[in-house]
Amino acid sequence: MNRSPTSLVDTVGAGAAAPAACADRGVAGSIFNIQRYSIHDGPGIRTTVFFKKCRLRCLWCQNPESQQEQPELFFNAEKCIGCGRCEKVCPEGAITLRDGRSWTDRARCTGAGACVEVCPQGARSLMGRVASVDDIFQEVSEDAIFYQESGGGVTLSGGDPLAQPEFALAILKRCKEAGYHTTLDTCGFASWHAVETIMPYVDLVLYDFKHMDPDKHKQYTGFSNEPILRNAKGIHHELKVPMRARYAVIPGYNDGVENATALADFIANELDRSIPVDLLPFHKYGGAKYQRLERVDELADTSPPSEAALTALRDIFLSRGLTAKVGG
Amino acid sequence: MITTSSQSLQKPSTFTAADEMSPRIRRLKERLYVDRYPLSIEKSRWQTQAYKASDGEPQIIRRAKSLACVLDNIPIFIEDDELIVGQGSAKPMGLELDFYAGLWPRDEIEGLREAGYDISPQEETEILDMNAYWQKFNPLPRLGEDASEEMWGFLKSGMVLPPWKSRTDGPGGGYAESGLGLGPGFYLMTVDFEVALQQGLLALISDAEKRLTAIEYAEKDALERAHFLKAAILSLRAIIGFAERYADLAQTMAAVEADPARRAELEAIAQICRRVPAHPARTFREAMQSFWFIFLMITPSPTASMGRFDQFMNPYFEADLANGRLSEEEALELLQCLRIKDMQLNRTSGKAARQKNAGMAKWHNMVIGGVTKSGEDATNPLTYLILEAVRRLPTAHHTVTLRVHDGTPEPLMKKALEVVKMGTGMPAFIGDRSYIAYLLDQGVPLEEARNYAIGGCLDVTLPGKSRTAAVGMFIVSMVLEATLLNGVVRRTGDAVGLSTGKFEDFKTFDDFYAAFKAQLRHFLKLHADKNNAELLISRELFPDPVRSVLMDGGLAEGKALLDRTYLLENGALLNMVGMINVVDSLVAVKKLVFEDRVVSQAELIQALDANWQGREDLRRRFLEAPKYGNGDDYADQIAVDLFDYWADVAASLRSCLGGAHKPTGISVSSQWPGGAQTGATPDGRFAGECLADGTMSAMRGRDLKGPTGLMNSAMKISQNRYQAALFNIKFHPSAMQSDEDLRKISFLIRTYFARGGKHVQFNVVSREILLEAQKHPEQYRDLLVRVAGYSAYFIQLGKAMQDEIIGRTAHTGAG
Ligand code: SF4
Ligand code: SF4
Repeated sequence: MNRSPTSLVDTVGAGAAAPAACADRGVAGSIFNIQRYSIHDGPGIRTTVFFKKCRLRCLWCQNPESQQEQPELFFNAEKCIGCGRCEKVCPEGAITLRDGRSWTDRARCTGAGACVEVCPQGARSLMGRVASVDDIFQEVSEDAIFYQESGGGVTLSGGDPLAQPEFALAILKRCKEAGYHTTLDTCGFASWHAVETIMPYVDLVLYDFKHMDPDKHKQYTGFSNEPILRNAKGIHHELKVPMRARYAVIPGYNDGVENATALADFIANELDRSIPVDLLPFHKYGGAKYQRLERVDELADTSPPSEAALTALRDIFLSRGLTAKVGG
Repeated sequence: MITTSSQSLQKPSTFTAADEMSPRIRRLKERLYVDRYPLSIEKSRWQTQAYKASDGEPQIIRRAKSLACVLDNIPIFIEDDELIVGQGSAKPMGLELDFYAGLWPRDEIEGLREAGYDISPQEETEILDMNAYWQKFNPLPRLGEDASEEMWGFLKSGMVLPPWKSRTDGPGGGYAESGLGLGPGFYLMTVDFEVALQQGLLALISDAEKRLTAIEYAEKDALERAHFLKAAILSLRAIIGFAERYADLAQTMAAVEADPARRAELEAIAQICRRVPAHPARTFREAMQSFWFIFLMITPSPTASMGRFDQFMNPYFEADLANGRLSEEEALELLQCLRIKDMQLNRTSGKAARQKNAGMAKWHNMVIGGVTKSGEDATNPLTYLILEAVRRLPTAHHTVTLRVHDGTPEPLMKKALEVVKMGTGMPAFIGDRSYIAYLLDQGVPLEEARNYAIGGCLDVTLPGKSRTAAVGMFIVSMVLEATLLNGVVRRTGDAVGLSTGKFEDFKTFDDFYAAFKAQLRHFLKLHADKNNAELLISRELFPDPVRSVLMDGGLAEGKALLDRTYLLENGALLNMVGMINVVDSLVAVKKLVFEDRVVSQAELIQALDANWQGREDLRRRFLEAPKYGNGDDYADQIAVDLFDYWADVAASLRSCLGGAHKPTGISVSSQWPGGAQTGATPDGRFAGECLADGTMSAMRGRDLKGPTGLMNSAMKISQNRYQAALFNIKFHPSAMQSDEDLRKISFLIRTYFARGGKHVQFNVVSREILLEAQKHPEQYRDLLVRVAGYSAYFIQLGKAMQDEIIGRTAHTGAG
């Protein structure tokens, strides 16, 4: 396995280096939401911290606002009345007015958000903020009594928490000190060193498998699946962290029998039959987010998979002796 | 950790979603939904005739004679398919006008026509004539004409809904079914059904007769007791006679019935009605029929409680099951018939109160689960069956409330949540810990406290042993306005409050806060005076022999229910509406005006006067100030303090029936009319906008941390001091899909109740609500679509996606 003695960010993929790990409590990172009463991201009642930044670029990403590390501008054209206040304050000169609404030159936009403050319509908002480990720990602790009774805890999701490994590590350590159950929702695209350092503080991994074919994986997400599959094996066999496999079923991309069979075989043979599989059907809730980011939604014409298709896919997993269900 | 009791692991229901309604229930249900309802004046005719004939006799005797006259004469009918018989009206789905529940002047009748009721012009004339007679039983002028100037200003202000228009006519409309607390209908009490079912009414009659002959006329109250006992005997005999009329009718119908199956059913009905309620019930079916006759007699009270139904009915059910007399399916059908019977009882409010009560105004609450008197889990097979009956027939009535304690079995919670998923908001969940703590605090012995039931929507009662007067709707936000305006009620311009000084002159928040509390105490005192006057007038005009007898020791005591003292004198209530808006407003004023000093006092007053017009920027600041419902101490501490203060004030205000006033928080739907009467408030609310719903709930769209964040706020409040504390949570259906989802909601409920929560009701977000959210996104900022690994609020979704979700979402309720 690759090892890097210093930073947790290395070897796989690009991505800016995270600040060097200092005292954990001072660590800060970038998140875009903290969702309370999360019930589909691990056992019991949970709080999910949605991290910014992910190194993959899945075409079907349903949280596209999570991909970049910096805050990104959400713009709701339906609300804009073209008053021009935003144009006046933008320090980058990124905004122009045309056809009764504002237009933002995304290449120039830095996401600093001066426009957000002045918009009388609430048409502009920023997705993402820097939060300290303290802030996050304080918020997730508010529901501690609910975790206790339900066997719940804290889930880190994103984006990919492993893309900000020091930050993730610091939060996880704090949560474990407090006795909370921790879940990590990840696509597994990280250095082994990061994985190995973080996993001792994780009680459950929700591991996303995008595609079993390395070329297709590269085509759809930008990278090969090789480190992902390798990390999965390491997490299961070496680190022995309980895992649930997650398979987002995207019609026309990864819902073929061949791919599902390969995934089922991989889990059953290379990992373990005890690992449950959740089939998460593609949904269209993310569409509006692309509009607000003023990006193209590559899957605008893709429909959610049918019940029958999902059942057929699930049966492939069942036939390998795995436990599988549709939905988180 | 939560323990689930194993000692009483009841068989969880084996029914699946595939079990459908039987054809019988389907047909009965279809007949419930009619385009227009008939108004019927049969009852009022016989009431009037009896009253005219008994002029000069004691009120309680007149009341009994009037009941007897109605029961002997009102036309009766048995509908096809019915297994339980007994109608509350002479016409199918009819609304029987009843003078005990108010007068019906022309504009009220017109209002009913508009609301979908039919009455012939000739009957309308007859009603108006009778009104003239009943005018002398109208309590409104008594209250209005004796009111001091200050009280008159208070009545007029509408601070207690609805506002009065004149001293003689009150709010107008002859207080028709208003729930003003006037008239006999609205006490919140649970009669002792067990006595009626187990002993039969004949036993009560012979007891009454013995007591009547044993009366010592040397006692001061001898005559009063004799009148009471005579009235009791008359009433009980009349009820038995009414059952016999049904027996005769069933027999006659059987004789001409062609279908042998139906003929057998009618013959069985005849036999049962000859037996009960005169004699003790022997079977589940007899018990159901006996229960229904008794229940009919305590309605049309809109707040009649069905008591701890699973507790007193289960012995009959289990015995029948063991003997093979009855199958589970048959019992289930009878339970659904009971739901149908309650749906047939047509109830409405007068115009002034109709909005307050949103639709059919009745709260016939059946309480299930909880603990036994000795503290064991009380769940039994019937508990599950009652829930299954709601699942199969999810009508709006009767209401079901589930008592939850630490040992409530998880399968029961699951069953209940499966019913919640249907979207009727039923069952409501209530916490034994908080209810029992309240009762112990009132001096009720533990065993009795554990036996509590619910009357009205959430009000605590002890079966046979408590009485609570009707719940007034006190609009707290109007007190805040009066404080900002130095004692003047904004709506009327009357100076009904104290002169606590101009808002612009307050130097510190504490001074302003103290002024608000002084105003609040002042207005609550007026409210308490009004409550007491109403009770005293009702006691004189409307003694109620039936319910008096059916209370614990009713015959031995020999007094009408308002002349007695019960184990729990739950007095008159002080009920808050819009308190959370006041909390949020005070928090915002504290922060922005007195602490951060970013807004001047004069500026705020101007902005409120202008309903925020031209001051959108200011409104936004006030909206962004900390809000109750997010677990934020800064906001919550004012809520905690005000709820305690309210309880303290209540405890200092005596009730004429004994004991003190009791604090409560039940808004029903008064947040709408209450909001309409309140101008703009510093929580960022516009003038006329609806107030916060419930009591523990946050203002719509102001809680942004989900159900746990909201509960974190609500759990800080001393709910144990409150006799009820309404708390509604809405859930998008995506949060209630799998069994696992339901289990998590069960944990949510248990955690809340383990830490002082009193009530929670889940409203699965319906299509209507989502459409609303599309229109008013700012009020639905908290509506989360819960999908694994995905983060979005409903209002952030694109229009097309929203439409798609709406298309997939069920309408509210199923009937
Ligand atoms: S890994 Fe997840 S967050 Fe990252 S781009 Fe792919 S779908 Fe989006
Ligand atoms: S300030 Fe807001 S409303 Fe005005 S042009 Fe910019 S985005 Fe549109």
